[in-house]
Amino acid sequence: MLAKMAWRNLWRQKRRTLITCGSVAFGVFLAFTLTGIAENSYFRLVDTGAMMGSGHVVFQPEGWDLHPSLDRTLADATALQREADADPRVRTTLVHIQGQAMFASGSKTAGGAFIALDPAREGPDVNLFLRCLKEGELFAEAGGDGAVVGERLAQRLGLRLGKKLVYTSTDKRGEIVSDVVRIRGIFRTGVAEVDASTVLLPIDRVRKTLGYAATEATTVSVLLRDQQDAPDVARLYREAQRGAGVAVLTWDEAAPDLAGLIAVDRGMNRLFQIFVGLLIAAGILNTILMSVLERQREFGVMMAVGMPPTRLVAMVLVESVFVAVVGLIAGIVATVPWYLYLATVGIDLTPMLGDGYNVGGVLMDPTLRLFLRPRHVLAVLAGVFGLTILAGLYPAIRAGLVQPVESIRLV
Amino acid sequence: MQDTIIELGGVTKTYQQGKLDVRAVDALDLKIRAGDFAVLCGPSGSGKTTVLNMMGLLDAPTRGTVTFEGRDVSGLSAAQRATVRRDRIGFIFQAYNLIPVLTAMENAEFIMDLQGVPRPERRVRVGQILTDVGLAGLEDRRPDELSGGQQQRVAIARAIAAGPAVVLADEPTANVDSETAATILDLMETLNRERGVTFVFSSHDSLVIERAGRVVRLRDGHLESDEARS
Ligand SMILES: Nc1ncnc2c1ncn2[C@@H]1O[C@H](COP(=O)(O)OP(=O)(O)OP(=O)(O)O)[C@@H](O)[C@H]1O
Ligand SMILES: [Mg+2]
Repeated sequence: MLAKMAWRNLWRQKRRTLITCGSVAFGVFLAFTLTGIAENSYFRLVDTGAMMGSGHVVFQPEGWDLHPSLDRTLADATALQREADADPRVRTTLVHIQGQAMFASGSKTAGGAFIALDPAREGPDVNLFLRCLKEGELFAEAGGDGAVVGERLAQRLGLRLGKKLVYTSTDKRGEIVSDVVRIRGIFRTGVAEVDASTVLLPIDRVRKTLGYAATEATTVSVLLRDQQDAPDVARLYREAQRGAGVAVLTWDEAAPDLAGLIAVDRGMNRLFQIFVGLLIAAGILNTILMSVLERQREFGVMMAVGMPPTRLVAMVLVESVFVAVVGLIAGIVATVPWYLYLATVGIDLTPMLGDGYNVGGVLMDPTLRLFLRPRHVLAVLAGVFGLTILAGLYPAIRAGLVQPVESIRLV
Repeated sequence: MQDTIIELGGVTKTYQQGKLDVRAVDALDLKIRAGDFAVLCGPSGSGKTTVLNMMGLLDAPTRGTVTFEGRDVSGLSAAQRATVRRDRIGFIFQAYNLIPVLTAMENAEFIMDLQGVPRPERRVRVGQILTDVGLAGLEDRRPDELSGGQQQRVAIARAIAAGPAVVLADEPTANVDSETAATILDLMETLNRERGVTFVFSSHDSLVIERAGRVVRLRDGHLESDEARS
């Protein structure tokens, strides 16, 4: 009877109830959209960062993150790669030598960074630079003399495809060494600093130059099928590598700036959503309270004939539960097509954001998309539901405080 | 001797109105006995509603005692008083007695639902009572689909459905025309005579007052007269 009364009470003021349910639904829609946009950008940011060389989980020589120099190495990077590749959560594992170098062509020189890689294992699907290749192609052999350079660096050094490039660095023993390669490709990420300083080199050739053994490297980057597995995967490897002089870092440990940026942004986003949620909740509180105040006499009669105040409170709470449920369902129904469209097709924002849109030096896809994990969906639903019930709490308590003698006098 | 259901002993009720104390009821002694068909009458402001509220455990006296079925109710908590009201007292108010979202049947069942009487049993008992009060066929109507007199009949059905010791009715006929008032009085009289339902009701209306078996006159919160008629 309680639920029946609560349900019918809602439809006494159809318009008002529909507006209230509508604001719950709007809250759901808004929260899904805001969370979806934010989570999508974090997701892309992390994956893109991972594809710029550091992976979701990275093996490094211990202390390398503080002093990245070419004399600290992983003695058997190939073994680490083999081990990681066996994990079904791993998409691919990339062995790199990363270091600083001077680049020269003719009389021009520029400082920069190189990433030495095995062309057989890399392509546009795992390496962002290759995805942004503008001219030429990736060198074919790990032992060959090819190189791929950023567009701005190429301009600075006057490089074109087929031209020679000299790179000079320090080898494993600290000696100055240099080598000549030929430009096979030019990439353009759109991020100026990256395009002005990055060179991709064939790994076996760099090993020879630096005096590394055939399995030696500075980093092994692990790309996961799902970035959220990074902590679990890293924990596993950390245990396996204990005492071996190998550090295992998750992407957020390897890129604390990026992780901090995401954490701050997520916090702000949540705060904003809670703020908007409270505004919507205040509107809901207002309408439920109005409906309670209008029914004082009715409540007085109910209490006079023996209804306990607790049941009255429960009835008004059940009314807000119904508002919440109807609003949530309407919100979900409204959000699903919107979500599906934005999750698959997206809206291209290139005209607004321009080329090379980046966050903290990480190139971003300028398409508006939504990305939600089940836990985000649950959090939004629980949050909206909770706020609606919270909004119903005060009116419900007010209903329980009705004094029969006084309210019956109000005809 | 009849059993006493409600006993007011030296009951005084004062209201604070600004700095002034308004004495709505003053040292009133009154007993309601099983089987009574009593009317409280008196001019407006004489204290009828206040007396009924105290008899119905809706309000507590400033001084004096209210004894309900032999029990002093001053020590009862609000929840205990609510239980006594639910189980032992039927209420009929002047107007807007009914819960607008419930049908006639559901309104009449309301108290039994609060008592936890199972639905099939409720339906049988209330169905019979609605027929007895002349509402057969109107069970599924909402209050706004019933006339004022029909609404009061539903209120009567609700009041008697759970078998209370006494039914308290504050001006039950004040909002209906005199013809309807007469039929409502007929119904209450029949229930009193045939089922032994005890009624205490208030009224200004001399046509109503002369139908009562006992007339309690109030004036300025005092008992003016208390006459039994047969
Ligand atoms: N809540 C209240 N606050 C102040 N004074 C009150 C209150 N309730 C009743 N009174 C006063 O107490 C007196 C008795 O009121 P009561 O309502 O019991 O009279 P009544 O006989 O029922 O009158 P009526 O025939 O108009 O219904 C009146 O003077 C009234 O003004
Ligand atoms: Mg009155």
